[in-house]
Amino acid sequence: MKYAFFVGCTTLSRLPGYEKSARRVAEKLGVELVDMPESGCCGTTYMETLDHKTFLALAARNIAIAEEMGLDIVTVCNGCTEVLTKANKELKENPELRREVNEVLAGTGKEFRGTQEVKHFVRMLKEDVGVDKIRSSSVKPFKGLKVGAHYGCHLLKPHEVMEFDDPEAPTSLDELIDATGARSVSYPNKLECCAGPVMGIREKVTWTVGLEKVEAVKKYADIMVTNCPFCYLTYERCQFMTENSPNVPIVHIPQLLGLAMGIDPDDLGISSNKVDASIMMEKQEA
Amino acid sequence: MRRWRRMTEAMEIRVTDEGKEFRNRVLETPGAEKLMHCYQCGTCTSDCPVAKRVPEFRPRNIARLAMYGQKERLLSGDLLWLCAGCYTCYERCPQEVHVSEIVSALRKLALEEGRLHPTIKVLMGSLSEMGYVYEIGEFENEMREEDGLPPAPQPDVRAVEAIMRKTGLMDRMGGE
Repeated sequence: MKYAFFVGCTTLSRLPGYEKSARRVAEKLGVELVDMPESGCCGTTYMETLDHKTFLALAARNIAIAEEMGLDIVTVCNGCTEVLTKANKELKENPELRREVNEVLAGTGKEFRGTQEVKHFVRMLKEDVGVDKIRSSSVKPFKGLKVGAHYGCHLLKPHEVMEFDDPEAPTSLDELIDATGARSVSYPNKLECCAGPVMGIREKVTWTVGLEKVEAVKKYADIMVTNCPFCYLTYERCQFMTENSPNVPIVHIPQLLGLAMGIDPDDLGISSNKVDASIMMEKQEA
Repeated sequence: MRRWRRMTEAMEIRVTDEGKEFRNRVLETPGAEKLMHCYQCGTCTSDCPVAKRVPEFRPRNIARLAMYGQKERLLSGDLLWLCAGCYTCYERCPQEVHVSEIVSALRKLALEEGRLHPTIKVLMGSLSEMGYVYEIGEFENEMREEDGLPPAPQPDVRAVEAIMRKTGLMDRMGGE
């Protein structure tokens, strides 16, 4: 298995632990992630709301790079996944739009042809690698570790674009977590948005939304697992915006998987998580 | 009876010609075509993560204001930019109005009116200048190396800027 790896601005610049663990886990599972030369920002979910053609063209330029590589794209960000998936779908389905966008791309040396697919890391694991393989690779399974899973929004929604899992009752992330020996628990408002995109508009709203969720997770689980850099940053940072921090470790899904696979915590960047996550190692079979 | 008629006349809601024009601009924006199907059930608002914490942010009201072409009330302040884009209202709207798409249409109109939120403007400016929304330069790549990560891809910045100029977005954002 081989994919073009679209890391995305936030993970590239701020979350080495997420990127590192995704790369190591992929390697361990025999999945090759190839970097995409000259790729840049997906365009952002904001761009979708500002200008349709710019959103399509910026996404198309990135997708065209993967087309040249002859590989499907794997991303680790819900936002990038939604942006690239939506643009890919619209441009594949609408030849007139494709022609217009390729006109915008003319002169950049790129052309959208519509030959590749876009997948989130979680989807790639669930559909292409398989939960069984994750289970059999978990040589150092967790014991008694309770996890609050947070899917975020754009892995699943809008459902007619993402066409993955059930947006109202998803199971993919829970299945991956359970395959490590840990137990994915249910908790109130599990599917609620992190409100990360509002951070730059009214910061306090994001911290309030974030803290409410982290507090809910604390009642039922030892750690919280995310699959999006924005969700991760919201739930981690909000805990430093209050005097009574709930102190819930926020963990990237490949970090959890990687530990269960026996990968060294340093190779997974566990120490770069701002809330101490050593409880994970304590709840692992030797 | 007469008094009642006088009262209802005073309370009657009239959509002004200006309001109608603005409403039409919303309706003509792809994605917002179903605005007038909204029957104000409020599902969007009851499930909105922002509405739960921000009293003035009510997706149902946004749809209503758009139906009445209340341009100023919609475009002023940071109202439109408080939507987190989570698509909960999109998924659950029984009429498929998709308030998130109405917000998206209104943001496009705000941009046309030169009223892009300053934070978003900064982000879009970074994107056009660096190809990323955050700086990923020499320093960041040194940090990446320390973490055992390969250098970040160098985006074709000229291509990104050319795209944003060609679609006219740069002009609408107000130059740089």
